[in-house]
Amino acid sequence: MRGIGKSFGGVAVLTDVDLVVAPGEVMALLGSNGAGKSTLVKILTGVYTRDAGIVKVDGEEVVFPEPRAAVAAGVRLLPQEISVMPDMTVAENIALGDLPMKRSFGLPSVDDRAMREQARSLLDQLGFGTIDPNRPVKRLSVAEQRIVEIARAIAGNARILVMDEPTAALTEQEAKLIFRIIRRLKEQAVAVIYISHYLSEVFEISDRIAVLRDGRDAGLFETASASHEAVLAAMLGGVAGDLYDIEGSGAQAGADILTVENFGVSGRLTEVSFSVRRGEILGVFGLIGSGIETLGRALYGALGPVTTGTVTLGGTAYRPRSAAAGKTAGIGFVAADRKKEGVIAELTVRENMVAPFLDRYVDGIFVSRSRETAQAQHWIDSLGIRTRGPEQKIRTLSGGNQQKVCVSRWLVDGISLLILEEPTRGVDVGARREIYLELRALADRGLAVLVLSSDVEEVAGISDRSIVLDRGRVVGRFERGAAPEDLMAATVNDPAFHAA
Amino acid sequence: MTVTSASPSTDRSTTGSRGRIVDLLGKPWSGVAILLAFYIVLIVAFSVLSPFFLTGRNMLAIGSNVAFIGLMAAAGTPLIIAGGLDLSVAAVAGLTGVTIAILHGVGLPIWIAVFLALCVGAGVGLINGLFATRLKLNPLIVTLGMMSIVSGTALILTGGLTRALMVPGFNWIGQGRLFTIPVPIILMAITYIALAIVLARTRFGRFVYAAGGNAEASRLIGLPVERVQMILYAISGVSGAVAGTMLAAQLGAAAPGAASTHLLTVIAAIILGGTSLYGGRGSVWGTLLAVLILGTLGNGLTLMDVSSFWQDVTRGVVLMLAVSLDQIRTRALGD
Repeated sequence: MRGIGKSFGGVAVLTDVDLVVAPGEVMALLGSNGAGKSTLVKILTGVYTRDAGIVKVDGEEVVFPEPRAAVAAGVRLLPQEISVMPDMTVAENIALGDLPMKRSFGLPSVDDRAMREQARSLLDQLGFGTIDPNRPVKRLSVAEQRIVEIARAIAGNARILVMDEPTAALTEQEAKLIFRIIRRLKEQAVAVIYISHYLSEVFEISDRIAVLRDGRDAGLFETASASHEAVLAAMLGGVAGDLYDIEGSGAQAGADILTVENFGVSGRLTEVSFSVRRGEILGVFGLIGSGIETLGRALYGALGPVTTGTVTLGGTAYRPRSAAAGKTAGIGFVAADRKKEGVIAELTVRENMVAPFLDRYVDGIFVSRSRETAQAQHWIDSLGIRTRGPEQKIRTLSGGNQQKVCVSRWLVDGISLLILEEPTRGVDVGARREIYLELRALADRGLAVLVLSSDVEEVAGISDRSIVLDRGRVVGRFERGAAPEDLMAATVNDPAFHAA
Repeated sequence: MTVTSASPSTDRSTTGSRGRIVDLLGKPWSGVAILLAFYIVLIVAFSVLSPFFLTGRNMLAIGSNVAFIGLMAAAGTPLIIAGGLDLSVAAVAGLTGVTIAILHGVGLPIWIAVFLALCVGAGVGLINGLFATRLKLNPLIVTLGMMSIVSGTALILTGGLTRALMVPGFNWIGQGRLFTIPVPIILMAITYIALAIVLARTRFGRFVYAAGGNAEASRLIGLPVERVQMILYAISGVSGAVAGTMLAAQLGAAAPGAASTHLLTVIAAIILGGTSLYGGRGSVWGTLLAVLILGTLGNGLTLMDVSSFWQDVTRGVVLMLAVSLDQIRTRALGD
């Protein structure tokens, strides 16, 4: 792709962008939200048409008026959200685009055997012959579903595979499986364009790194000789050096706000004990399935009265019962999956912000619109939320800004503990730093902040103290300044992880 | 893939007239505005086609004829916005008339009979709500079953027969006038104004939109999703009972299946009015306009001697057109 330009409504989204990928090469595509990554790959995959520039595949200039044309030319996109048919089998999912047919009793019908054989050989080719082609896809793990998707893409003889955040919903171990596949694809001379927010991933898997910023080329690096700092600087425009280099330390951490002893949830958490102090960020690191997805919501009460053990909140005994009770007791909770469990898409920024404590804005029987708006505007300003105003629909905001709205909901009197799951999942690097700064500011203002994350760098980077969970138990405790490697080493891991 | 669905919000308004139309469709008020425009076009068209159409008498007749449908659609709107659905509402209307007739027949004062019938409606609604929210069953199945139970009960109670129900004070609800305006229209107007205020201005109203927009997120911020839905099911049941009372008063008779053929009109009006079947979006004003449009369409076509079979076809076409337009609108608003 050379000299690509595209504008929407007179606003240039891409200007003179080049992207050249060789067969068997993994090209990472990096950039903050709004940098133009997704527009670029949408032009490549036929979702948008370009305004300027040329696209060549195998030396031939091509124009893709629609996605099917791109697929026919061997250009495949793996979208960020996994798109498989959950009730169909692995083989059916893989063959979906081009079902092998036969005639039985004179009628065309699907050739099941050929379909299974094709699936088996493709999975073998990827190194995952262990996945049974006859299994319904919904029985597979998320990582295996990804693998099925990739198999489907190469079933159509993909020459160029665009992967948009392929590891977003995966654990680090599972991500290794995807990397293994990418290496196989390289051997088969498939060109891979790899979009990710995770720098460490990009450095592990890519051959070269292309960086976009504000719709322009901002740098092209040979991965082997590039440094994290240089790439990050290209992405952010040389502003932020270290993502986690944040003033304020939590050194003045005060009394315990939350004390948890022998906390348990049957089958998921066992004998978990820790405390969170006023003014500090306590990080909890664990891989998916370690218990981090349970601990936060169990404490908040969202799982109902299913917990065992002793919990003290603000000096008094607290027993998680329900989300409403947790809220009343002074706990705020920000869920990992913003789309499913965080934002109420059809409502405005204002309505989303004031929802948990709407009773505080009620005069008589009516909600006071003016007080709501004043509060919403205050949060928009103080958290630096980029929006056209309180009346904008929240679904039209970027992920980072949606996350800030979800945090702002809890910034009211009476909330003493804020629990956040995966606070920066799906948030671009620039906004991540802003969220970290905000969490630190909240701690400095006297909140106790509990962050649960499967991003080891995040936990190591922002926590005053941290604990590591594995298989529902605490397997490590660290003070500020622990290295990500220390936290990771504390988890009892599949040998495959360390081998990689 | 169309231009409107593939492009982000920024590239509207640029691509000539088509872009401008899409741009207009994308405005938040455009849904109600389109309905209003359509309603006016309909009125103008029928006025030209039939001399009997645009008279005060006929307009009021349309209003009283659709009032009981309007009542059920009014209560159904917040229920669907909150993620519920009530298919039993029209059957409840039938049962209500029957209940009043029987209770009055055994000697209860008419207003006590009405009160008890309203309680039956609320009870049916609460049972719907209980199954749909506490047991987390699909409301389509629950209320479809309830529809069958309720209409069956009404038939059992009457042996399938229609009962006369002529009580002077009572029939005023359906046939009387207040300041020359038929009572059913006044009842319907009060219902719509009250619901519109509740939805737009109160805490409960906000919970309705939140619960339907994202039930899981609402639960996680401690909103009483189940309680809100429960209340709405009860209101829907009561609306069926009020509609049934009004219809029986209007007809001077209680027929077990009096309202059941209008269930589809009720649901169609809610959808035509711009309420999303997936919840989270909609308004009672849209529903009211849709009720009036469907009523006017029926009335006008009848005046023009179009058979009721063709009226069914026309209603279906209007509904499908409206829903298609709404889809275009939703895409124009951007996802």
